[in-house]
Amino acid sequence: MVLYFHNSHSFNHDFPTVTLAYFNRYPNPYSAHVLSIDTIDIKFDKEGRLHQTKLILKEGRLPLFIKPILGHNGLKSWILEESIVDLKKQTLKTYTRNLDHTKIIRIEEYNEYEYDVVENKTLNKVTVLFKSGFKNNGFGIRNRIEQWSKSKFGENLFKSQEGMKFVIESTRNRLSAGNKTRI
Amino acid sequence: MGNLMSTSFAPECTELKQKYDACFNHWYTEKFLKGKSVYNECEDLWLDYKTCLDTHLAKQGVKPMLDEARSEAPFENGGVPVEKKN
Repeated sequence: MVLYFHNSHSFNHDFPTVTLAYFNRYPNPYSAHVLSIDTIDIKFDKEGRLHQTKLILKEGRLPLFIKPILGHNGLKSWILEESIVDLKKQTLKTYTRNLDHTKIIRIEEYNEYEYDVVENKTLNKVTVLFKSGFKNNGFGIRNRIEQWSKSKFGENLFKSQEGMKFVIESTRNRLSAGNKTRI
Repeated sequence: MGNLMSTSFAPECTELKQKYDACFNHWYTEKFLKGKSVYNECEDLWLDYKTCLDTHLAKQGVKPMLDEARSEAPFENGGVPVEKKN
């Protein structure tokens, strides 16, 4: 089966600040597990929307109960991120998924950031899919992995939001100093 | 962000990446967000950086799984996940 996780959160900042912070969110004090991020593609579509593809390398964590099966302790995981900025609609959509270890668990995360001009804030909606690739569910292993990943994600979401807030503050300082110095 | 900058997975590409990122941030803020540009003005820097990345991606064997994932086109449904009934 597939498990879903939904959450929404708002940042009390405008679209330029939130999106610039998003693209510069690493490193921050909450992202010690993120080793690198690279832009592997950038292009525009007919509507003038900005598409970027990034490749992220993270230090992964696995539940204790899986270690006897795989014998791993720490492991690295490659993450693909696709994003689209629509300036006219003031939206940023992102999609991330892990590229390796998908037999254990495949995590797909969809984020939408939409600027609300009336409230002057940016609403972030997130949906995450958890799907273990184990073929059989012996000892309930598949369900346990999906459950573990989902609960872990809930804990980590707080850290990513705190990380974003931290980067937003430094971005704001840069934007306000903005016209004098190059960002 | 702060004064810290993120690194590339390949240390050899980090300097090129940081030059490109600095250019991107400036272009994104001053041009794109202001509706002044739908052209990647940092393309020359990005191409140098990309050449470096491609070499190291091939060495690390990441390319096949990357290509496979990218062919799945997640945004076909407008970036909204299709929820399957369990």
